[in-house]
Amino acid sequence: MWGFAAWNNTLPVEADLSARSTAALKDTVLDNTQIAVDGRDVSLAADAFSEEGRRDAVMAVEIVPGVRLVDDQTRLAAEAKPFVWNAERDVVRVTLSGSAPLPSMKARLTEAARKEVGGVEVADQMGLARGAPPRFEAAAMLLLDQIGKLKDGKITISDTQVNLSGMARDLGGREAIAAALRNLPEGFTIAANDVKAPPYIFQAYKDPVAATVTLTGYVPDNTVHAAIATSASRKFFSEKIVDNLKASVGAPASFNTAVVAALGALSRLSTGTLVVSDREVKLSGDALYEGAANDIRAGLGKDFPKNWQYKPEITVKPAAGPVDGTVCQQLFSELLNKGKIRFATKRADIDPDSAGILDHLIETALRCPTTNIEVAGHTDADGEDSFNQALSEKRAQAVIDHLVKAGLPADRFSAVGYGATQPVAGNDTDDGKAQNRRIEFLVR
Amino acid sequence: MPYLVSFHMGWLIGSVLLGFCMGWISVVQRGSGTSKVTARWLAVLVAGLVAASFAHVVPGRFGYWLDLGLVMFACYLVGCTIGAWLRDRVVARSQPAA
Repeated sequence: MWGFAAWNNTLPVEADLSARSTAALKDTVLDNTQIAVDGRDVSLAADAFSEEGRRDAVMAVEIVPGVRLVDDQTRLAAEAKPFVWNAERDVVRVTLSGSAPLPSMKARLTEAARKEVGGVEVADQMGLARGAPPRFEAAAMLLLDQIGKLKDGKITISDTQVNLSGMARDLGGREAIAAALRNLPEGFTIAANDVKAPPYIFQAYKDPVAATVTLTGYVPDNTVHAAIATSASRKFFSEKIVDNLKASVGAPASFNTAVVAALGALSRLSTGTLVVSDREVKLSGDALYEGAANDIRAGLGKDFPKNWQYKPEITVKPAAGPVDGTVCQQLFSELLNKGKIRFATKRADIDPDSAGILDHLIETALRCPTTNIEVAGHTDADGEDSFNQALSEKRAQAVIDHLVKAGLPADRFSAVGYGATQPVAGNDTDDGKAQNRRIEFLVR
Repeated sequence: MPYLVSFHMGWLIGSVLLGFCMGWISVVQRGSGTSKVTARWLAVLVAGLVAASFAHVVPGRFGYWLDLGLVMFACYLVGCTIGAWLRDRVVARSQPAA
């Protein structure tokens, strides 16, 4: 009978004691726990994270009802030296590796990473080890908050040294991370912060078919935004400006100067693309004639702030066919109706914003090489008549000088000044005066 | 011990019943019993086994089987005692009448 009882009950007793021992260890902090029951003797193997935790675990199994002996095969978890923890982000996932001090903290860190990066996969490759520096969890949590601000990169804690590398997700991300790192718990120091900011990009595309100039990318603030928009509308006399710019921090120094100069060059192209990426300016497109192409290739560099790189890729638009004087006149009138040649106030210096329209006038003049052209200057009625007369003559001459400099023969042009004698609008409003201040091209 | 008893309650009751039956029939048994020497040796053996059980010197499953065997044996003895005592009472009451 005893034999039957033993034969029948040995396995159930072992299973029952195994279940009870496992339940007793539920609240203890152990890793790699293995429970083996032989009769009523329990063999407990596990990695504990402190001497006290180890003793508590053995005690918990010893007081399980029915357990006769406990074979203590527990040991302390290995101590990591240095204690290294990594969080690495790439395109598809965030990988947590290195060591965590406790299983519960490992779970919390994984959960925090998941929360931070939203739908991105989080791979937990952390092991468990003793030897974490004090306040490790606070430091790791703070650094995990930064992983969301990275596009890719790696954050490492090695004992109390923190290393960061990679690329910030947004403009301003690098600064935000640097600011957050000031709140690292006491004892932790930044060994290296090599987080790079994404390039600060400004783009402009001149589309001659749609007659638009599309501005995209970033500007530092609303003031610069307004300045660039105004400048663009003056330079692009016949195109509509489509403004898709966004304000963001992180612009390189002298951004405004460089962009305005580059937009000036773009305005001289028939079609073209301008890409400003950090301190590099790439301009590609078709100039209207050979002289303009050379001018743009060579000239823009000197307008640029120092430390900026200028990479022009300028070709020349195929020359349009020659036309007779009547068509030429029509083309001149159309151009000067759309835009106007601007000068410095009360002076005969051509505003650089007028480079675009002048290039178009030169291209047109090249199409009717046999005609003679009268360049007529007009002013509004403000000021002395003699001054206005002289100013209109000087301005007409300045335009001719520009055309000659571009390679047109000087003998085709004659400068005439009409002062305020031929107004096209009333001189009693600012708008009327602005219309009266003009240069006309007349084919003779 | 409480765990052993509660887990094997059915088997222990069985042991008590078996012991009861053995005690019941032993009163009227006419065969020669074990000699005093043998009985002494058996008692020493049981005492040794009890000592080994309390000292936890037998490991693993053998230890469990030993404990289980001793508990069942104790129950058997209790059953024997009760059975023999009751049969004795029954026999004693019926003799004067005969």
